[in-house]
Amino acid sequence: MIKAKGVSLRFPNGTIAINNIDLQVEPGDMVYVTGPSGSGKTSLLKLFMGIEYPTIGSLEVLGQQMDKGQTSRIRQLRTSIGPVFQEFKLIKGRTVAENVMLGMRFLDLSQDQLKENAHDALAKVGLEHKASSLVENLSWGESQRVAIARAVARKPLLILADEPTGNLDKDNAINILELFKSFIDQKTSVIITTHATHLIDAEKHCKLIQMNKGSLSWERLG
Amino acid sequence: MKLFSSNAGYFFKEVKTMIRLNLFSNSLTIFSTGLIFFILAMIISGWWVSSHVVNVVQGEAEINVYLDEEILNNNTGVSQMVESIKGIEGVQAARVVDQDEAYNRMVEILGKEASVLNKFDDNPFSSFVELKIDLQEIDPVLEKLTHMMGVEHVRDNREVLERLRNIAEALRVVGILVVAAVGISTLVIISHIIRLGISNNKEQIYTLRLLGAPELFIAFPFLLEGLLLTIGGGILAVSLATFSISYLYAQMAGPLPFIPLPPLKELVSGMGIVVMSLSAVLGFVGSLLGLVSVRNN
Repeated sequence: MIKAKGVSLRFPNGTIAINNIDLQVEPGDMVYVTGPSGSGKTSLLKLFMGIEYPTIGSLEVLGQQMDKGQTSRIRQLRTSIGPVFQEFKLIKGRTVAENVMLGMRFLDLSQDQLKENAHDALAKVGLEHKASSLVENLSWGESQRVAIARAVARKPLLILADEPTGNLDKDNAINILELFKSFIDQKTSVIITTHATHLIDAEKHCKLIQMNKGSLSWERLG
Repeated sequence: MKLFSSNAGYFFKEVKTMIRLNLFSNSLTIFSTGLIFFILAMIISGWWVSSHVVNVVQGEAEINVYLDEEILNNNTGVSQMVESIKGIEGVQAARVVDQDEAYNRMVEILGKEASVLNKFDDNPFSSFVELKIDLQEIDPVLEKLTHMMGVEHVRDNREVLERLRNIAEALRVVGILVVAAVGISTLVIISHIIRLGISNNKEQIYTLRLLGAPELFIAFPFLLEGLLLTIGGGILAVSLATFSISYLYAQMAGPLPFIPLPPLKELVSGMGIVVMSLSAVLGFVGSLLGLVSVRNN
């Protein structure tokens, strides 16, 4: 699913965001990435999405080598990824349902499937009653859940979620983590960055990556 | 292709949202392109009308040949002259219009004012030979006629035709310049509005790219927006031009009934097709230019 060998990411200003990491994520893995702010969690997800490219090393995501020259293939690869962005990236002036469906419009789905997937995803995040609301009228927590619904409605092979529980209360956060876990049975890999270590203390059968100054150490929980 | 057919509703809805979110700027675009196309529509119509008038007048081009008194008093002489004239290359037909026919024609032309002819004791008109000619051959025919023995003078409508031709030609040149100016202005306006639209929606475009949307899927609503804005401008222009032309026709019908104007319906539909086609093409090309310029930056 993801294979990283000696991957480093160095920004033009000299900052080293990721420092010589090795990593392997298998289908159906649930991976939590924790670490202090600026430790490289978001940069790691950006590498997996092809927003940034490794300065050194080799990175393969869903069988695709992540190189600068592979832009169009990486664009294609992204259709198999369900991203949840820290700042949500919802499209203003459109409704909740339109935002969720927008992530699927260029996939090979019929209109009925599109609507059904959007409805199911919104139901799973508890927002089916907000389907017709404009996204700018939502609270932060609701916006976050719409972003999650958009990611999971695509039924992706890989979910990359950057602080998906950051704006949620404990109950909603647990529900969202449960939702993500429900995809593992379908061999979807889920990588979640989070500060909320208290939520993953009780987690079992998952991998925990701890990042610090661009380096990582990881352990298997449960 | 399926990407477009299955998302047609979405694309139109997206354009509607983009226009709604930037309503003032988009309304101004429709208004300004509408005015530009209106000028174009009026020039095209003027060109069309003048060309039509030239064609009609050309089609009715006749030359009248007035003969010497001596020949007119001799029936055989007149017949011989007509035969000689028919023999000139470029002359399609020649016939004698006698004094009575000439008089009757004038009665018809003068209509209610024909009573003025009663003031003459005798018929004031003389017989003449009426020719229909091939217009391409007008110069050599006139040259030969003026040098023919027994011809007193020749009357042709070449001067009127020349003036009309000059007007039509001037309108054609102005038309070409206006089409070029309209084309450039529309391309600039539309490509600018598309650039602006892309700039306003850059967050959305970035998000769609992160979600893996193909470039065409992202660009298509902007293309459609440019196309619909210029078509909107085209519709506005055609409506204004139709109203203006109908008004001008109504104004000309009274005092200038003899000008052979083309049928109003034909003129308006022809002008509408030209303006709408041009607005669609310019809208598409303008949007494309806007997209390409943003992409290059």
